[in-house]
Amino acid sequence: MRRLSGRFRSSLIIGIQGIRARKLRTLLSMISLFLGVLAVVVVQAGASIAERALLADLELQQGYDGTRVMDMPLQQEATEFLADTVKGRDDAVAILGVSGIVGEPGVLPVNPGGAPIDQDWGPAMVCNDTGCEPAPGVKGQAVEVRLTALSGDVRRFRPFRAVSGQWLDFSTVPAMAPRLVLNREAAKAFDRYKVPAEMRVNGAASNVTPRFVGVVDDGDQQPRAYVRLDELTTWLPASRLADPNTGGEMRLMMTQGSPVEPVVSAKLKALGNEPYVFTVESRKDQEKQLALMRLVFFAMAGLVLLIGVAGILNVGLATVGERVEEFALRRAVGTPRMLLAGIVLAETLLTGLLTAAAAIGASVAGLKVVSMVVGNSQPILSDVQFPWEAGVAGIIAGLVAGVLGGFIPALRAAGIPIATVMRA
Amino acid sequence: MSTLIELEGITKVLKGQEQPRTILDGVGLTVNAGQSVAIVGRSGSGKSTLLSVIGLFDRPDSGSYRLDGQEIAKLPERRAAKLRSSHFGFVFQRFFLLKHLTASQNVAMALVNGQGWLPRRQRRSRVMEALDQVGIAHLAKSRPAKMSGGEQQRVAIARALVRDPKVLLADEPTGALDIETGTLVIDALLSATERGCGLILVTHDRDHAARMCRTHDLVDGVLTERVAAR
Repeated sequence: MRRLSGRFRSSLIIGIQGIRARKLRTLLSMISLFLGVLAVVVVQAGASIAERALLADLELQQGYDGTRVMDMPLQQEATEFLADTVKGRDDAVAILGVSGIVGEPGVLPVNPGGAPIDQDWGPAMVCNDTGCEPAPGVKGQAVEVRLTALSGDVRRFRPFRAVSGQWLDFSTVPAMAPRLVLNREAAKAFDRYKVPAEMRVNGAASNVTPRFVGVVDDGDQQPRAYVRLDELTTWLPASRLADPNTGGEMRLMMTQGSPVEPVVSAKLKALGNEPYVFTVESRKDQEKQLALMRLVFFAMAGLVLLIGVAGILNVGLATVGERVEEFALRRAVGTPRMLLAGIVLAETLLTGLLTAAAAIGASVAGLKVVSMVVGNSQPILSDVQFPWEAGVAGIIAGLVAGVLGGFIPALRAAGIPIATVMRA
Repeated sequence: MSTLIELEGITKVLKGQEQPRTILDGVGLTVNAGQSVAIVGRSGSGKSTLLSVIGLFDRPDSGSYRLDGQEIAKLPERRAAKLRSSHFGFVFQRFFLLKHLTASQNVAMALVNGQGWLPRRQRRSRVMEALDQVGIAHLAKSRPAKMSGGEQQRVAIARALVRDPKVLLADEPTGALDIETGTLVIDALLSATERGCGLILVTHDRDHAARMCRTHDLVDGVLTERVAAR
């Protein structure tokens, strides 16, 4: 170990001396390698940033990796036992959705069917057991939202981003006037249309006056309003939350191994229904999406890197050719062949590392500039941090280029006959 | 005085030509600690080849080579490198100083050779000691380009001495120097023998050869002693 350490230090010292003695050559090697390493760093940084953004969006819409999701067929009998089963639990949240219209009574909403506010999904329809038909009436100052009742804090499973105001407080007693948290699309609709604060929900005892307490980004394109289940059921029987005619939804989000899952499954089976249960695998999904793209870009970066390696190799061979006497002399004073090879490799490795440092520095600076210039228009790039994976990729690329570019010159150096100094 | 080097029947044949040529033909030589030996001969007589064999740059085709009593004629390269580092110091006609290094760094080169590791402070002290032995400690920070030929050769001698070798091998060390400077260089080499170091000097200069304990003539690969030990 001591001998190895001595050889390592010797090669490092001599390597640094060599680099200092041939600054221009080192610079030329670095220039030829710079673009290759930069390409690797940029591809890795781009892939990491895209991956994070994609993952964040997927988590926002689907939930954190590992979350168990149970989608249930709409069944009025199921709503009450579902609400009772998850009541007060931290490991499971029931999500029940119905359509709600907030605004002027007796008019049709500006976005029938709860469409995104700038899209037209066709006329408002009224559905019953016999079918659907266009709803009578005219559009007025009202907005239709997907009213989503939550039995607990769903943010444990879906990372909603706070935009303004507060999130629903599940620790207090239920309020008589349901508190609503809007998503961005709903907030946009209420910002555009000044509507009275009166909410109609099919089957409710009466119209209610909601209170808007906050806005979140939930990744949904439809206008949506989140409400505490117990506050909504003050006005609306739980059974009405599973009305198939209002496009309702029933979903359970749980931790892995939650005892709620087998209980709810058994109860649903007893009612003759089979729930659909799956585990969220956002990372796996997005990896599939990014794998091919990343492969293509890395292949291109690798090609540019190879050109850089050829540059180092070229300069390395020329340098060894010029240093024949030096290497022969070093052998004469007892330097082993392996150490001579190590000296050349140390020089190319240090050159590779210096280049990697320069490429990483340039990438960090570039990313900062891009973030400052286009960050406002591209949220993915606003306040973005340089991914450490890109730094690691750059260092690896620099080291690999150093080894590849220095290998043949190192072999040459080790093979220089010692008698060169005697014949000189 | 203990025997450092014993050569017996050393033969070296140059192959790869139409007619193989015998460069060394049954050479025998003994060098004791503190003894100086001059080898004189015409160009192409095999002086440098003999020095290559003694310095373990090259291996003899036949014969016996004992260093400190150990047979080393067929030594593998790894062990030869170790012995070169521990037993030998080399001085060449061309000084072979690395121009991008200072005098002290050139001397330290023999210490930073992968054969053991000395901390920087010890390294510096040994380098300064070696430079002092040849009288140029004041040039420690100078680069070769700023030094005269004699000074450069003395740096090369310091490099050879820094590992405290048992044998100094000098291949025409005064060949590129004027008479006065050459004499100073020989003085520096001879002063090493006073500390028990053996010296083998290959030279064309009869005056320098005369200052050695013994002189050997190498003619057509055959080594013969000319002068008896003083």
